[in-house]
Amino acid sequence: MTINHHPPEDLLADFAAGRLDEADRLVIGVHAAQCPNCQRFIAAIEQLAGAALEQAAPVAMADDAFATIMAAIDEPKTASTPAPTSSQPVPLLDDDLPEMLRRCRFAKSRRVAPGVKMQPIVLPGADKSRAFLLWSAPGTRMLEHSHTGTELTLVLKGSFSHQGGEYRPGDFDFGDGEVDHQPLVGSDMPCLCLVAMSGDLQMHGWLGRLISPFVRL
Amino acid sequence: MEWAELIGRVAAHGDRGAFKLLFEHFAPRVKGFLVKTGMSADAAEEIAQMTLLTVWRKAAQFDPASAGAAAWIFTIARNLRIDSARAAARRAKAAVNAERDETPEVALSPETMMSRSDDVSRVSAAIQQLSDEQSTVIRMSFIEEHPHGEIAERLGIPLGTVKSRIRLAMARLKDLLDD
Repeated sequence: MTINHHPPEDLLADFAAGRLDEADRLVIGVHAAQCPNCQRFIAAIEQLAGAALEQAAPVAMADDAFATIMAAIDEPKTASTPAPTSSQPVPLLDDDLPEMLRRCRFAKSRRVAPGVKMQPIVLPGADKSRAFLLWSAPGTRMLEHSHTGTELTLVLKGSFSHQGGEYRPGDFDFGDGEVDHQPLVGSDMPCLCLVAMSGDLQMHGWLGRLISPFVRL
Repeated sequence: MEWAELIGRVAAHGDRGAFKLLFEHFAPRVKGFLVKTGMSADAAEEIAQMTLLTVWRKAAQFDPASAGAAAWIFTIARNLRIDSARAAARRAKAAVNAERDETPEVALSPETMMSRSDDVSRVSAAIQQLSDEQSTVIRMSFIEEHPHGEIAERLGIPLGTVKSRIRLAMARLKDLLDD
């Protein structure tokens, strides 16, 4: 797989520093798991963070801190509950997902517009943004839109294109208030994307304004 | 004594003397690091304790060829901080919705991220090629989470220079690491 489009560096750095909202972190994490370049970049930020930790001014620990840790070590370890495996309570838009997504919990999928379905991912820690799978039929032309917040998109299957180029599996697309685009889904197969979105979409054109009350993502 | 070697001794035979040295060095630094990024002293104390407990439990997973000890311990503290924020959010939502959530943490740990040693040496080499100025602005902005205005003040340079220096540093790092 050749990946041509990567997340902006500041998002990778925020991921490495642990500063991303949960939905954004999921999308960057799934991209990075497939992308050696971004893995190296994240590892570099982690190295710099290690150096910063080494240089941090120490703050004295509580008097009993070491004893508390040793007591926890000597406690018989409680069996950790195994991660739930493939026991999704709802049918998925696609059963063949990257491992990190298979471990997520999904809500029921629903139709967004003709030829477009979405399935929310349940993220209890998500604060400002939300994550979902977006399935689009071959040849779907999304409405021209911009964003009040940010939109992080990772192609899982199929492809789409807009002014920024063509996006294939593994490719990452970043949209914010300055981006105004109208993606077109490739005609040969459906397109499945993982999306993290904050804020709202703003539809353009008379049709967009007409239907935007009905398009809820 | 290298920190990596001490972690190795904890992994190999539960060496408590080695662990105590790790605790004495890293626990106060993890706490200091977290306090510096805005966490309360109590919360930082708890995460620092959990971080060292995790160092003990996961010592065998530490691969000295893939990450430095400090970077590895940073990622443990980072993931614990993320976990604790998630747990707090879950508790807040559980008050409204009794449904229990078991979604596992998605933060990637270094052992899953970096496995090829040729990658590891490239990462170290790239960092060494950054200028001090460049690694300083990356550290201040992304790791210590200082606002750009504060970085400008501390370094005594204009705000615009801070922004362009960060941008150039990130682009350079990316260039050095891309295939």
